[in-house]
Amino acid sequence: MLPLSLLKTAQSHPMLVELKNGETYNGHLVSCDSWMNINLRDVICTSKDGDRFWRMPECYIRGSTIKYLRIPDEVIDMVKEDAQAKSRNRAEMNKNRGGNAGQNQNQRGGRNGNRNNFGMRQGNQGQGQGNRPLAQGNKPRK
Amino acid sequence: MSGLESYINHTVSIITADGRNFIGTLKGFDQTINIIIEECHERVFSTTAGIEQIVLGLHIIRGDNIAVIGLIDDTIDSRLDLANIRGEPLGPVVH
Amino acid sequence: MAEKKTGGFNEGKRRKESILDMSKYMDKQIRVKFAGGREATGILKGYDALLNLVLDNTVEYLRDSDDPSKLSEELTRNLGLVVCRGTALVLICPHDGVEAIPNPFITQ
Repeated sequence: MLPLSLLKTAQSHPMLVELKNGETYNGHLVSCDSWMNINLRDVICTSKDGDRFWRMPECYIRGSTIKYLRIPDEVIDMVKEDAQAKSRNRAEMNKNRGGNAGQNQNQRGGRNGNRNNFGMRQGNQGQGQGNRPLAQGNKPRK
Repeated sequence: MSGLESYINHTVSIITADGRNFIGTLKGFDQTINIIIEECHERVFSTTAGIEQIVLGLHIIRGDNIAVIGLIDDTIDSRLDLANIRGEPLGPVVH
Repeated sequence: MAEKKTGGFNEGKRRKESILDMSKYMDKQIRVKFAGGREATGILKGYDALLNLVLDNTVEYLRDSDDPSKLSEELTRNLGLVVCRGTALVLICPHDGVEAIPNPFITQ
């Protein structure tokens, strides 16, 4: 399973994001892209030392500044459902390609194939999930 | 192919650039070594008390923040008496 | 074949444009955080796809003299009209609605 697929599935779910600068952001994921840039809504920002807090209606965070994201446990099961639909799509794609992928064993061809495959996965990610409320079990680290 | 493939669905220990140690089941990764770990918990080392385990749940850890990913032997790990292990906490990576 | 792949690429709802629509912030006051810890607020006058921003009436928040690890809400300096480098941006949010609050989490 790809981390970005999981993140995309987590759209509309609450999450905790810790940045490399130590700040944490609790909010609902509105959207994300393939660079892990994210939009959150109804956000609570916690300072690095964990003793100051801000409320912000929404914010955009650059993916490269993220340390980790904490996601509700049940989201991983929702990806599994998407992934099955996706692997069916991929099987279709491979059929369309014919035997070409298998023959192309030189390094360049191999890389190319990989990149396109990645593109497909990106392209077919599931869109919006149901807006399921979730108890805010997320707490800033002390 | 990345050597990480064989770690999928196994318990791993991840040490991040800020010196933290996360233990959990590796569920996925990508080409930048972003990682999904399930049932993640953090082990906090201290010289004055035993290892504290903090349950965290499902995590995506960004690859550029990861220093080490190690495979954990569950049978050996379960024999550890965490409450009686002392250790200096790791410091962060100095850039 | 290349065409077919490109088609597949676009079929999935992968949007070319940014997930952040900066146009909604035009002529509004926004708050930005930079890599390295600086923070500023200003009125958005322009932007590009790389998230370089033009801010007017920009005010930078300075470090607290008592505790240099923190930024002060009071201690500021006026920068006026500035270009913010997109690569250095960590966070963008609207200035309206941002407020310091007491600990909203139940402490153990």
